Amino acid sequence: MRTPTLFVLSLALLTALDLPAQGRRRGRPSRAAPAPTAAPAPKKEEKKEEPKVYTAIVGGDVYLGTGQRLTGATVLIADDKIDKVGHNLELPEGTTIIDAKGKTVSPGFVIVKGAGMGASFSGPFKDTVNPFAADIKQGLAAGITSFLAGSTSSRGRVGGSNAVIKLAYGDVEGMVLVENSVVGISVPIDRSAREKLETSIKAANDYLKAIAAYPAAKAKDPKAKAPKKPSGSDQIINVLQDKARLWISFGGGGFNPFRGMMGGSASTSDLASVREACEVAKLFGKSAVILKPMSAWLIPDEIAATGSSVIISPRTRQAPDPRDPQRSGSNIATAAILAKAGVPVAVTCPDGRFGGGGVGTNGILGQDLNTPNVDVAYAIRGGLSNRKALRTITLDAANIMGVGDRIGSIEAGKDADILILDGDPLHYSSFVITAVVNGKVVYEKGKEALYRHIAPKH
Amino acid sequence: MMFSKTILALTASLLLPVLVTAQAEKATKLVAPKAKSEMAEKQDPAKQAPAKKAERPPAPAFKMWNPRRPKDEASHKVAKWGPRGLPSPGYAFFAQKILPISSAPIFDGVVITKDGKIEAIGKASEISVPAGYERVDCGDSTIIPGIVELHCHIASPSFDLNDTVHPTNPEFRTLDLISMEHDQIKMARAGGVSTVLYIPGSGSNMGGFGTLTKTYGKSPEEALVRFPGSLKIAQAGNPERGSGDLGSGMMGMSEGIRMTLLDGKKYWQETLAFEAGTGPKPIYDPTLELISGLFRHEYPLSVHTQIYQVVLQTLQELRLELGIWTVIVHGTFDGYRLSEDLLAAGLPVAGGPRAYHFDRKDGSFQGVLANYANGGKLGWSEPVYGLGRDGIGVNTDSPVVAQEQLTLQAAMGVRMGLPHEWALRALTINAARFVGIEHRVGSLEVGKDADIGIWNGDPIDPRSYVRKLVVGGKICYTRDPNRPMW
Repeated sequence: MRTPTLFVLSLALLTALDLPAQGRRRGRPSRAAPAPTAAPAPKKEEKKEEPKVYTAIVGGDVYLGTGQRLTGATVLIADDKIDKVGHNLELPEGTTIIDAKGKTVSPGFVIVKGAGMGASFSGPFKDTVNPFAADIKQGLAAGITSFLAGSTSSRGRVGGSNAVIKLAYGDVEGMVLVENSVVGISVPIDRSAREKLETSIKAANDYLKAIAAYPAAKAKDPKAKAPKKPSGSDQIINVLQDKARLWISFGGGGFNPFRGMMGGSASTSDLASVREACEVAKLFGKSAVILKPMSAWLIPDEIAATGSSVIISPRTRQAPDPRDPQRSGSNIATAAILAKAGVPVAVTCPDGRFGGGGVGTNGILGQDLNTPNVDVAYAIRGGLSNRKALRTITLDAANIMGVGDRIGSIEAGKDADILILDGDPLHYSSFVITAVVNGKVVYEKGKEALYRHIAPKH
Repeated sequence: MMFSKTILALTASLLLPVLVTAQAEKATKLVAPKAKSEMAEKQDPAKQAPAKKAERPPAPAFKMWNPRRPKDEASHKVAKWGPRGLPSPGYAFFAQKILPISSAPIFDGVVITKDGKIEAIGKASEISVPAGYERVDCGDSTIIPGIVELHCHIASPSFDLNDTVHPTNPEFRTLDLISMEHDQIKMARAGGVSTVLYIPGSGSNMGGFGTLTKTYGKSPEEALVRFPGSLKIAQAGNPERGSGDLGSGMMGMSEGIRMTLLDGKKYWQETLAFEAGTGPKPIYDPTLELISGLFRHEYPLSVHTQIYQVVLQTLQELRLELGIWTVIVHGTFDGYRLSEDLLAAGLPVAGGPRAYHFDRKDGSFQGVLANYANGGKLGWSEPVYGLGRDGIGVNTDSPVVAQEQLTLQAAMGVRMGLPHEWALRALTINAARFVGIEHRVGSLEVGKDADIGIWNGDPIDPRSYVRKLVVGGKICYTRDPNRPMW
């Protein structure tokens, strides 16, 4: 119902705009042009209770993202949310059917750190996203439906400016899921900065306690003054109130061509640094997210004790440094070892010097985001089970970004960000056939030049 | 700049068929006759028009061009071969699936090895294990030959292999740098790689002579397969950064490569004349001696060459003009558009580590390996032949990407359209044949080196891992299921 109406409206718009549009070539754009559009506006207001638009993805093997899989199931989408998932669902009249028989259905991949794909490098993101950036399609073809853009690190103090970006191609409103759901700090922290940090956390905690006690105090004494928020403590307070997740990254350790050449930067995430990250998490009294801790596999239980999660890129490889036992190097089994200890893990691509971070068109294989499933494949190679592995780019990744209640799994009430693939989502030769973001089909392999020419192998 | 490059490319592409024909007629009876006649047919515009409607016959099989290659190891005059058949325990490896590559898969099979070589291979029910041989039950594993890597820089603690003393540096060699317990050699073993062509970097046009070595051995001498493995040339796409007396543009770089090789050619001809008793003995020059081995076809040139224009140059100058056994390594970007010309010239390609090329003309991702192998309309209006099953290899350029990702390169080839079986060949027998060591490694056959990878699943799938690696009949890597390091 809604679609034809919108179509007519947009036709009217186009017709109305036609003449001024031609005029634009000669002079300045005419500001008066949109006047005729004022007329249809009340029409929209007339029907306040718009019927929901239903779409059903029918008959596919549905990977829920939680670890379970439903064979030959249906996912019913109402507008931009998942309505129901299951077998033999009753579909409302007028439901658009997408046949997924013989295919797999997966939550859209959630990438914990990306760049490009319509997002700018720092906030405000809502004002700067480009919903028509060409590499959004490339990201969708790779299965990505959301990623964290912006910065998440600041040495010695909490900071960062970031947003969870959705690849809602063409829909500027749908692109920013949330801003600053992550605040970052980087270690090592020197002694004075650490003392400052401790003081700030204490001040913020005191403030929160005072705020909590304020209503009671005010009831007793109407003249009681509201507690004053310590200046510059917003981000710390967000962490303490669980409004933002604390990400702890590692500062650069200088350029080391040999150790850094296996697909990653030569950050100093040695054993001592990983322990320092755990200490910082304890300072906040919150579970943190530790970014690419190279030596984490040596102390899984210490990390688990802080309740923290970990982001790793299994393909970033570092050799152990024979001169420094603290620099243990990477281990292919890191994801498996951490998962066994109960540490949630998210997987991403190496941030190497050959196209790391974005989807890109020039990256050396594996050091870009064109194949997130292959990054996960290396976690599986290291011993992680297939079942757990999909979570590293879906639900656990969403939790790590603080948006696990919105995205990352196919469950009723969550955002309808869904992929239809021609095989196991983690198989190296599976392709995304259709990508749905916010309930709308935004990518179809057969309609885009990117991989259209590649015949399905399944 | 771009414009002039385009013109150059166009001119070159127009000229190429003519040159190829001229060369083919002048110099060689060595291109497969079938391939040659098809080349000629394609070039004749009058014939081409009606041929459009008719289906082209299937592409001829790839045949490596190295006609002067000595018939056995003993006939090599310049190359030094490493030892074979060193003592190793007797083993019988049982597995659910064995892929010998050179023959059909064997289910519930066994490979029997001793003293560095394969003694028997076949169905477990049909082969009896000799007394005293240890039975190794690999369960549901898949056994394949040890993988052969054609382009890597991993065997020494020194990553700096880009010494540029002259514009071309044939005096250099990697032979002296090899360290068998290097971390990245360990990673190679964990990745199922048993033989590597360890070559200098691409910082200069001619980086030096590479070494073919196994990834396991008590000493580099024991692990040696052959020196020289190849002479490394970087035609373009990296050496530009160091300019010299010759300049750093394409003309200057080509001149440097050509003149150095021509010196060696002269030395080779003088040596031949001396051997035939028609000339004086040339003054011994160790570098020219090694270059002359290229003209004897004792070992190939391995050429880092990538974009269409430069691959064209490689084909034209090195293979056709100078008549050298040439192998393209680090094959990336859009060089695949020359697949049919490379097929006709017997010039194979190892692709990687960029598995896909973004074609800016139509906004599509093209699979580098798939296109080199399959051919098709690769930017031309008419489809061209691909290199086929036997003309395609894979490489990593490790440590730029980790050595364990060699199979991933093949996997991405398959993702983009390379047949799975071809990908397995690319990793093993093809790579071995490209550098002339297929009589030792690359497939599981009686009498070949006992280099065996025991995998927990499809070796192409990056989720699979190596359970055990056997090199020279010795188990040199066993994965610790609790704490695998690599």
